[in-house]
Amino acid sequence: MWAERPRGNALCKECFFHAFEEEIHHTIVHAELFKRNETIAIGASGGKDSTVLAYVLKLLNDRHDYGVNLVLLSVDEGITGYRDDSLETVKRNQEQYGLPLKIISYEELYGWTMDAIVKQIGLKNNCTFCGVFRRQALDRGALMLKVDKIATGHNADDIAETVIMNVLRGDIGRLRRCTAITTGTDGALPRCKPFKYTYEKEIVMYAYFKKLDYFSTECIYSPNAYRGFARAYIKDVEKIRPSAIIDIIHSGESLSVKKDIRLPVQGVCERCGYISSNAVCKACVMLEGLNKGLPRLGIGKTHKERRKMQEMLQQETGAADSTPCTDQSLKSSCKCENKTDQSECSSQTYDSDNASGCSTYSKSQKCKDGCSSTNPRTVAKEKLSIFGKLKQPPSIDF
Amino acid sequence: MCSILEDEIPLAKERISLDRKCMKCKEEPAILITRVNDAFCRGCFQVYVTHKFRAAIGKTKLVRDGEKVLVGISGGPSSCALLHLIQEGLSQRAHKKLRFKPGLLFIEEGQVVGQSLEERKVTLTRIHSLLRQSGFPYHLCKLADSLDLERVKTLSACQSNHAAVNKMNQSAMDINTAAVNKMNQSAKDINTSAGNKMNQSAMDMNTCINPVEGDKGEVEKSGHGENCCDLLEMNREAEKLFAAQLGSIKSISGKEDFVRALRHRLLLEFARQHGYSKVMLGNTGSQLAVRLLTDISTGRGMQAAMETAFADRRNTDMMFLRPLRDFSSKEIAMYNNLHRLECVFIPSLTTMGDVGASIEHLTEAFVTGLQAEYPSTVSNIMRTGEKLDSSSAVDIESHCALCQGPLDTDVGMSSALAALRFSLEISTMGKSNGKRCIKGDNSVNNTNDELCSNGVNYDAKVECCGESDGSCRSSTQLSVPDEGLVLQTLCYGCRIVAMEMDDVNSLPEFVMKDVAWRNRRSVMKAEIQDFLLDDR
Repeated sequence: MWAERPRGNALCKECFFHAFEEEIHHTIVHAELFKRNETIAIGASGGKDSTVLAYVLKLLNDRHDYGVNLVLLSVDEGITGYRDDSLETVKRNQEQYGLPLKIISYEELYGWTMDAIVKQIGLKNNCTFCGVFRRQALDRGALMLKVDKIATGHNADDIAETVIMNVLRGDIGRLRRCTAITTGTDGALPRCKPFKYTYEKEIVMYAYFKKLDYFSTECIYSPNAYRGFARAYIKDVEKIRPSAIIDIIHSGESLSVKKDIRLPVQGVCERCGYISSNAVCKACVMLEGLNKGLPRLGIGKTHKERRKMQEMLQQETGAADSTPCTDQSLKSSCKCENKTDQSECSSQTYDSDNASGCSTYSKSQKCKDGCSSTNPRTVAKEKLSIFGKLKQPPSIDF
Repeated sequence: MCSILEDEIPLAKERISLDRKCMKCKEEPAILITRVNDAFCRGCFQVYVTHKFRAAIGKTKLVRDGEKVLVGISGGPSSCALLHLIQEGLSQRAHKKLRFKPGLLFIEEGQVVGQSLEERKVTLTRIHSLLRQSGFPYHLCKLADSLDLERVKTLSACQSNHAAVNKMNQSAMDINTAAVNKMNQSAKDINTSAGNKMNQSAMDMNTCINPVEGDKGEVEKSGHGENCCDLLEMNREAEKLFAAQLGSIKSISGKEDFVRALRHRLLLEFARQHGYSKVMLGNTGSQLAVRLLTDISTGRGMQAAMETAFADRRNTDMMFLRPLRDFSSKEIAMYNNLHRLECVFIPSLTTMGDVGASIEHLTEAFVTGLQAEYPSTVSNIMRTGEKLDSSSAVDIESHCALCQGPLDTDVGMSSALAALRFSLEISTMGKSNGKRCIKGDNSVNNTNDELCSNGVNYDAKVECCGESDGSCRSSTQLSVPDEGLVLQTLCYGCRIVAMEMDDVNSLPEFVMKDVAWRNRRSVMKAEIQDFLLDDR
């Protein structure tokens, strides 16, 4: 059986396997992806990339003696008809390759499944939620397993798409980082992409010829993603010139950014302690929005959302005064109108630093219990708490 | 986080009512809509366009008073708009008129699409009249001249429109037409080596003509008078050479890249030889957005920033300016319409082709389609381009010999270039031989790597891959540079084009000269390596 590589050489099956495996080995060695005795978690979705990744890494680990321990890590987003089927594939992989497996779900981490989120937000921008949540989920799962690195199955086509998408979106920070083969070396768990220079077509060919078992359906929510445009473009360019995908990656690697451009700085989220470039990480913002009935909190413009909230408040209170509770004038006490509520609230200890007692997350939880939910003032403060600058971030355990 | 800046819900299209008022003056009825939903009346639109043009030039303070600027006119709508804007800006009645001295240049490219001589003459005549009406000194030359850069100075037609000079030119022209006819006569029988003799005589003719012209120094030679089509008759050798080179490139994308590199080089050389210090081009924002994406898709990421910046500084002595970069094609079209400007349509390689004809054509369809649904696409792309660094390399040796862009091939072993090389090796060498190639010293100098990975034909590989110590030129003559050496002087994007050609040595003369020069320098450097203090 013959295979024609996208780069133009025609090879027989055995030579193709050899070429494919050696190229990945070359990538791993020269980018120094693995060190001896490290534990590597393979992000396994049951799709072709992760199945082939698991197979090839196990093979190369044995053949070239990297000396690493491999585990499979899978994330359940809660998309019926898609994820539950692919998870079965992952379980099969576990048996076939003899690797330990851990499955972590959005439901247990955040209390929301993707199906429920899509019901709230609609069919556009739902990929934002899934992507952000999945990244945190992978990291948390990996921490639970105590691994040193995460390996994902992102292939050359994915990276080329990302480059194009970032150019179209004007996201200069991501554009600079997206072609790096290992990301996250400072702070969070590093993650690497051994398939960075591997064409998607070749991965499929490899799986086909080796008769590897995988689940091959697209996510049911993906057709409306913006990434779809970039993907269609990449596919068309590949038809004209097959090497274009690697050319795009080369372009991405050669791009350099002007020195005086402001790039996002990495910090830590005040709520959950996860890495974030803003005060509160995106996942916390989105979760808050979902929980409070403002699902577009993480997606729309901040000032618009603030305005929406204030309009909602005005409707409910009918009061002209709709200052957010971060106003310094409310420092002294919780302005609950109901006497009993006030006593409940005053049982909290206030620091003089706090702008307003009710605006901190955990305290507002208690406040919710104590104060009557119809009290618009406290409801308002809860809702606006997301905009407040927190001085004492409560820590949430992973 | 897909959307970082703007809400991605496409804007609801507002119903366009005919009695809207201009959004600026709020008095006049609006006659057009630009950008997303801004209505302008005629006067305000003119002010808007003129102001943006002047601001683009004036803000950067790059064009000095009295500076000679070469304006590249292609005959298309943006060139015509540029010409008109320059005319308006320089005219006496303009408020704070611009102060530079423009010269126009048209590069005839009919040969690229295979036009017949008649068609090319028609185009040339139309352009000629267009340029003449402008009132600025103009030049005509053809793309094939880029293969023979020394003759650019003598072989282009030029005619000045300054009234005083015209009278002088009248007499000079008679002398010249006779001389030029003689030149044409000899051109037909002479080959390149004897062409030098012809140059000599042409130079003599020029020197005797110059005193006649008097003090209007910008006209160095008067042109062929009314018969601009003589341009097509001259220098047939270069045309044949050009046709051969173009024909040997297999893909249309490669051809387009090659043509673009030649055009750039010709503009550069022409400007240098005729004493211009800057070149102005009429690329609009929409075209530049397409250009940026195409550059990224063809592996020219490093130059992408330069191609879309206002000032392209890849050559330290010549700056390319793009004052129309903030305009969309729609605005230019409306401007042309309002002023009834005539453009000349010149077909390109992908005219009437299907969408997948070339990468640039596909990208254009992609961006235009996306722009229709998300109106901020082009401005996002341009903004990304602005943030990219277009630092120019100072050293002439770190320029690509073909496109003059910076060389981006000095990357480590963990890179796309290295991966591509390795993949080619391993696909062509097979299982048993493969090990030998991989085990080779990976930190070996570039020369060896190039020669190895270019070996699509086994003969070349067997000859050169014997020793891994860099002295791989043993089997070939030193006078003909190796494929590897030539490719080393090209950037990633140009390498793709060069590898499509049948023979890399058939690249244009200026490339081969550059290769030979660099080769000599590297030999020199190797000899004195021990005595050099800097690590250059």
